[in-house]
Amino acid sequence: MSWLRYFKVLVGGAILLLLCVCGVAAPLLAPRDPQAQTLEDRLRPPRWTENGSAAYFLGTDNLGRDMLSRIIYGSRISLMVGAATVIFAGFVGCSLGAIAGYFGRAADDVVSKISEIFLAFPFLLIAIAIMAFLGQGVGNLIMALMLSRWVQYCRVVRGEVLSLKERDFVTAAKALGGRDFYVLFRHVMPNTFASVTVIATFGMAIVIITEASLSFLGLGVPVHIPTWGSMLSEGRSYINRAPWLTIFPGLAIFITVFGINLLGDGLRDIFDPKLRRQR
Amino acid sequence: MGKGKTDISRRNFLKRSALLSAGGLAAPYLSRQSFAATRDRVTIFHSSVADSINPYNHSSSPIYGNWQHVMEPLIELDYDKKDYVGVLAESWQFQGNKWSFKLRKGIKFHNGAPLTSKDVTFSIEKMRDEKGGSLQAPNFKDVTEIQTPDDQTVIFVTKQPLAIFLDRLENRFILSKVAGDKFGDKLYENPIGTGPYKFVSYQRGGNMVFTRNDDYWGGKAAIKEVIFKKVTEEAARLAALESGQADFVNNIPVHEVARLQKHPRVRVDQVEGLRMFFLAFNMTHKPWDNKLVRQAANYSVDAPAIVKNIFDGIGYPCNGPVGANVIGADSKLKRYPYDPQKAKQLLAQAGFPNGCDIQLYYSAGRYPKDREVCQVVAAQMVKGGFRVELISQEWALFWDKQGVNGGRLPFYYIGRGSLTDADTLYDQYFRTGTTKRTNYSNPDLDKLVEEQQKTDVQKKRVAILQQAGKFIMDEALFIPLYNLADIYGVARNVVWKKRPDEKVLGWDMKIK
Repeated sequence: MSWLRYFKVLVGGAILLLLCVCGVAAPLLAPRDPQAQTLEDRLRPPRWTENGSAAYFLGTDNLGRDMLSRIIYGSRISLMVGAATVIFAGFVGCSLGAIAGYFGRAADDVVSKISEIFLAFPFLLIAIAIMAFLGQGVGNLIMALMLSRWVQYCRVVRGEVLSLKERDFVTAAKALGGRDFYVLFRHVMPNTFASVTVIATFGMAIVIITEASLSFLGLGVPVHIPTWGSMLSEGRSYINRAPWLTIFPGLAIFITVFGINLLGDGLRDIFDPKLRRQR
Repeated sequence: MGKGKTDISRRNFLKRSALLSAGGLAAPYLSRQSFAATRDRVTIFHSSVADSINPYNHSSSPIYGNWQHVMEPLIELDYDKKDYVGVLAESWQFQGNKWSFKLRKGIKFHNGAPLTSKDVTFSIEKMRDEKGGSLQAPNFKDVTEIQTPDDQTVIFVTKQPLAIFLDRLENRFILSKVAGDKFGDKLYENPIGTGPYKFVSYQRGGNMVFTRNDDYWGGKAAIKEVIFKKVTEEAARLAALESGQADFVNNIPVHEVARLQKHPRVRVDQVEGLRMFFLAFNMTHKPWDNKLVRQAANYSVDAPAIVKNIFDGIGYPCNGPVGANVIGADSKLKRYPYDPQKAKQLLAQAGFPNGCDIQLYYSAGRYPKDREVCQVVAAQMVKGGFRVELISQEWALFWDKQGVNGGRLPFYYIGRGSLTDADTLYDQYFRTGTTKRTNYSNPDLDKLVEEQQKTDVQKKRVAILQQAGKFIMDEALFIPLYNLADIYGVARNVVWKKRPDEKVLGWDMKIK
C-alpha cells in the first residue's frame, strides 16, 4: 500500500504543477487579454448557463473582462509572490537560524530576540502595516510578506542545527580540519532541508492567502494587475447579481491552497522518521 | 461510560438543545427589533462623513449636512421654491457693493447665549483661517469688510457688486463666539451652534452622534438621536441596511435597486443628483499645460458609454461644461466626441508620438462606482494613446492641502456637488487664485467670470456664462462627464424628504 503514502504528494504536486503551468504559460492558455474591457458584455454568466456566451467560458466581470483569463493570469501573482517569498524568507530565515543554532551564545541571543519581536505581531498585521507604509507594488508586497514569514524558518532551522551539531559526522568533519562555516553550510544545513521543505510548502499556501487578503483590502498589487484577492474584493458588491465574480477566484484560491497543503502533508509523511524527533 | 457529575442525561440534553435552537432562531428577529429606527434614534451609514473635528475643514455637500445638525447658515437654497430662504437671517438687501442681512431675533445657542452679529463675524474669521485648517476661505475672497452696526445687522462689503453672493454664503455655519472665548483652541471639540441638534461626540473615521435640541427656535425635531457612521464600502452599507443595522444608507449600486425594491424592510429613494462628475487637469503639471494633450484626453473618454454600462443608463452625460439643468448651460455646445484615433493624432502633434505617461488620481469609495469608472477611463485613454497609472487615496489626503486643494494632483476624478449655477464651477476651478484645484490662470476668462458676477439681470448673466462655457470647452480645460442619480436605501418606517444636494438631515425625518 505504499502508493497511498505518495497519493498526497502526487495530488498536491499535480495541483502545484498546474499552478506553475498556468503561471508560466498564461499568455498561451488564456483565451483573451485579462485587462481587455468589453463594456457591452459585462456581467455575463458562465458559458453553461442561460445567458452565457461561448466567448467567455467562465463569464465576465463588472467591466466586461474575461473571468477565465483573469484567473489564469491571477495565478502568476500567486505563484510569483508565493515562490519569491518562500525563497527570500527561507534564505534569510535559514541562514539566521543556522548561525544562531551553530554558534550559539551572542549570535543566538541576538537572533532570538529579533525573532521574538517579529513573532509578537500577528503576521497579517505586519504585512498590512508594511504595505500601508511602503505603498502598492509587487516588490513591496514580497518584502512585506517576507518580513512576516522568515521567523518560521529561523526557528525550525535553529532547532535542527542545535541537535545536528552534536552528531558524529560533524565532529568528524571538524576533526578533518573543516572550518565553521564550511561545516555549517556543507554538512549540517543539507540535513535540515527535509523540515525546511515542509515549512516552505505550508508557507507558500499561507502566503497565497495573505496576498489575497491584502489585495482584498486594497493593499496588495496595483489595480491593473489581476490577482485572485482583488477579484474577490471587486466582486463583493455583485455577490447577489453575479456570484460567479467571487465563486471562481475563491475556488482558485481554495484549490491551490488545498493542493499545496496536501503536498506539504505528504512530504512530511515521507520524511516522517526524521521529523518524529522534532515533535 | 460512567455517569459522572459532568455527564448530561438524555432528557437534559434534549431540553437544552431545544432551548438553544429556539434562541438561535429567535435571535436575528430580536436583534433586528433593537436596531430599527425609532422615535429615539436613527442610524445613518454614509460614504462621506466628517473627516475632521474642525467643521470648516471640508467642502463636501454631505458633510455640510452633518454639521448642519448643530450649526446653521444665514440663508439656504430651497429646492422646491428654487430660491433662497432665510435661516438665521430674517431678511436681506443687495445695494451697490453691499449686502446687508437682518438676523432673526430670539435665537439662542446651545449654551444659552443669544445670536448676535458678533457671532457671525467670529465664525467667518474662523472660516477665513486657512492656516487653522479651513477650506472654506475662498467663499469670502471678494469680501473686503464686514460691518456690524448693531447686534442684529451684518453688512458685507465687496470689492465690486457681487450678484451671486448668496451662493457663497450658503453652507457657511455660525458658531458661538461666547463658546469661542471660553474654549479658545478647544472650540472645535465643543461645537456650539443654534441647530436642531446638539453635538455629542465625534470619532475619527467618521462617527458622529447628535442629540436633539429640545429648545430649538424652529420647533422640536421628531427623532431624539441621530447617528452617522462612515462606511465607504457599498457592499457593507447594503448589508447593514438589509440586516437592520442601518436605517438609512446612500449610494446604493444601481444593479441592486430591483432586488431591494422587493425587500420587506427597506425601500429605494432615487433623486436626480446635482453633482456633476468630471476629470480635472491641474495645468501647472505637465503634460496638461499643453492644450493638444488636453484635447486628446477629451477625445479619448467616452462618457455616454460609462453611463450606459456602469450605471445602467441611470445618469445624464454632460453635453457641455455643465449639465442641461444648470444655470449657464448652453444647449448649442457639444462635448468632444469619442474618437481615439483623433486623440492619438493630437498626441503625436503635441510631441508624444509614442504615447504619453499620466497618472489618474481618485478616492476609492467616495463616489458611486468610482473604482470601476476610473478603470474604464484608464482603459479608454490607453486606446487614445496614453499610458495611465491609477492611484487611489484616502479622501482626507486626496482633497486637502496635500492633494487637490494644494494643487498637487495633476489629473483626478471628482464630483462637484450642489451645482445649480455654472458660476460656482467656473469660479472655483478656473478663475485665477480662487482655489489651487486646477491652477489655471487666464485674464480673459477671469474677466468673463467677474462680469457675470456683477450682473443682476439673469438673461445677461446667462449669456456671459455661455460665453465662458464655450471658452472652457475650446481650451479643453477639463473633461466633463455626467450627472448621476442619488440612490438611497431607507428603512420602510422612515419618512424622509428627498433632497437633491446629498445632505442627509435628521430633522427632515419622521418615524411612521
